[in-house]
Amino acid sequence: MALKVLVACANGAGTSLMMKLSFERAAKSLKLAIQNVHHCALSEAKSSAPGYDVLMIPQNFIDMFKHAMESGVSVIGLRNVLSEAEIKEKLLASGLVENNQLL
Amino acid sequence: MLLKEIVEKRHFNFVDRIDSWEESIRIACKPLEADGTVEPVYAEEIIKCVKKHGPYIVLIPNFAMPHSCEGAIGAKDTAISFMKVTRPVSFDPGDPEKDATVFFTLASVNSDIHLKNMRKLFTMLTNEELCAELLGVTGPEDLLRLDEKYSFGDAARLDY
Repeated sequence: MALKVLVACANGAGTSLMMKLSFERAAKSLKLAIQNVHHCALSEAKSSAPGYDVLMIPQNFIDMFKHAMESGVSVIGLRNVLSEAEIKEKLLASGLVENNQLL
Repeated sequence: MLLKEIVEKRHFNFVDRIDSWEESIRIACKPLEADGTVEPVYAEEIIKCVKKHGPYIVLIPNFAMPHSCEGAIGAKDTAISFMKVTRPVSFDPGDPEKDATVFFTLASVNSDIHLKNMRKLFTMLTNEELCAELLGVTGPEDLLRLDEKYSFGDAARLDY
């Protein structure tokens, strides 16, 4: 299975792009199978998140996405959007890695 | 490559102290206003975003990335401006990790060019040694020296 990933920040063009680049580094290093990584603004993410496997957002916005968690999306809040190490650690803790690695 | 471009376009300023984070955003936008990359209203748009969403633009301690959305009100071109403030600007009085001295201010009307700029900026901000050196820059000659030393253009190509 390849993951559909959404990254979101307030405006969808600055912080979320940084998160996307960090995530791509982490995914490469974990050999994670990715279908696509879409970046957008929080407003769009609120409605579109349930269509993704993973949602990454800055930690302070995590309360806005309880509905996504309840619908089964792995919602990951980041303290440091530039940290490949933090993303790797949280992906590993989410249990997504073992089922979605490239062969 | 990015720092050299910043110097060539005169998208930089060096400031001793700024008394509020709001003012720091306005001053960080000045080099972009000087050549029409953004209009003065752009700074006010960024300030509105920070008031609404909090100081998330301080990505890591000392480093701020003020930006509004792509094609935001007042943005006329795509560029990144650099500002160094000697005394830290506080974005959250209760959290010293949200103090900033280095500002990379983004403006974007073209998502392809913006993404290229962001890849270069990402490569820079994830290089700890370079970030440590950026905290000590005092003029454009330092930016050119660091550009030469770290050859971001090449690093960015290797990465992606």
